[in-house]
Amino acid sequence: MREIILITINSIKNNLKSKALTIGFLCVTVMIAVGLNLFFCILLINPAMKTSTPDRTQLEIYLNLIMYTTCLICLGINLNVFAFQSMTREKTRGNIESLMATPLSVKNIWIAKSLAVFIPGMVLGEVLTFAALLAVNYIYFVPRIGFVYTYWMGLSSFLAAPIIYLCLSFLVHLIGLTGKTANGNIIVQIFLPIILTLMINLIIRNILNAASWPLTLANFGIAFVIIIIVIFLQLRITREKIVLSR
Amino acid sequence: MSLAISIRNIKKTLGNQEILKGISFNVELGDIFGYLGPNGAGKTTTIRILLGLFQADSGKLEILGQDIKLSETRRKIGFVLDADGLYDNMTAEENMEYYARIYGLFKASKRISQLLDMVELGNRAKDRVNTYSKGMRQRLALARAMVHDPEILVLDEPTSGVDPSGQIEIRQIMINMAHKKNKTIFLSSHNLDEVQRICNRIALIDRGEIKLYGELESLRQGMSKRTVIIETAQIIPESLLTELKELSHLGLQEIRNNSIVLSPQQGTEISDIISILTGRGVKIEEASKKEASLEEMYSAILKETESS
Repeated sequence: MREIILITINSIKNNLKSKALTIGFLCVTVMIAVGLNLFFCILLINPAMKTSTPDRTQLEIYLNLIMYTTCLICLGINLNVFAFQSMTREKTRGNIESLMATPLSVKNIWIAKSLAVFIPGMVLGEVLTFAALLAVNYIYFVPRIGFVYTYWMGLSSFLAAPIIYLCLSFLVHLIGLTGKTANGNIIVQIFLPIILTLMINLIIRNILNAASWPLTLANFGIAFVIIIIVIFLQLRITREKIVLSR
Repeated sequence: MSLAISIRNIKKTLGNQEILKGISFNVELGDIFGYLGPNGAGKTTTIRILLGLFQADSGKLEILGQDIKLSETRRKIGFVLDADGLYDNMTAEENMEYYARIYGLFKASKRISQLLDMVELGNRAKDRVNTYSKGMRQRLALARAMVHDPEILVLDEPTSGVDPSGQIEIRQIMINMAHKKNKTIFLSSHNLDEVQRICNRIALIDRGEIKLYGELESLRQGMSKRTVIIETAQIIPESLLTELKELSHLGLQEIRNNSIVLSPQQGTEISDIISILTGRGVKIEEASKKEASLEEMYSAILKETESS
């Protein structure tokens, strides 16, 4: 555990010290998240609030849609930017090879590198999601119907969505470390639009109830599938494979 | 002498290519061991096996009598790989601290500053590594390799790409580490001059096989015995040269104006040659055994391999 914490903290510091990249990531992510929030507010919340008696259940669904997509987008962009960048850089510069020649376990290196990319994205995602929750509530709901929030919303946005990306970070780093880094990146690039489109469609069409357990369960299901793949693939991780993939 | 590294019949195949074909050698404690070979000979693969990055297909490797797979054994080795593995966005001090912590040293600031002073980077300790020259990076990598006070240092071409003055500095650091800090150094290098200057024992690998191995001085002496140069005061007369050619045990190789080069057979000493020549009225100004340079040894061995 000590090893994982040590490498994770060091890798986070190192990743965030690329100022241009970090600032660029922050700006792009915040802009997209704010844009998406505005889009959903104008398209969904505004019309729903114009009725004389707004449907609270429907508003819960819309609010969770906003929160969930905000969190997913932050996590997705973060993984997209930092996983590829840090893996490519560390593999070509011999950082990974040097770490593997120390007493550190190769699995701990992999886990720590995955966490180092995931954690800053998760923090930003949670902060922006919380900001979206407060903003939508205080702008639209509190003056008329009071604070809108359910535990399922919290679970799906603050827990389930990050867990999907945590599992995905493990998978991407596993593939990137033992094979070509670009292969891992392709998965991230494909995953974000697919999961977003799928979830938005399922929620909007009322197939998945975003304000209750179905969305949370669906997310845990996706995370479970990814983690099964990770458990299977992690058997292949060796120092030799990582060195040869450079 | 106890062994720092013992390699016995190590074989390694990568893909379809047999990279190491059963190599064996020992590195004794206190050695500065030069590991030479052309590109693709198997040097880096050997180093990766030494550091536990690759697993040998067969054979036995022992580091200070222990298996390299053990975490305890890895703690006894410091290393500089071909890619230095330094974090560009971090300062020299941060890079050192990180590795100190990896090796379980949490209060190492004094040791870190001593090591940075040793490699003459004390005044740049707080600068980011991406502002360093190649030579400075290599010096920092050497200091980092020493942070946990290992008994063995494995260095993969530490002077590669470094300018001549940087090479001298790095060489001096390696000598200091070996002599003042009693470290065993395993040095893989293309730089024959460097190996000749600092190593006491060498191994030459080519196409996955060890072609030459032993103490550098005895290897050089062994090769030097074959060539003797005699400088004379006057030009040697043709008749005497014909006579010398007939004395096959002298092995006359080359005739220049005032000198002859001989490759005498075993048992024929320089004194024998001198008495033959002086007995025939030749005034000798100088007689010397030609010192085989490492470069000559290296070329000769590689040529032999190519022709076979």
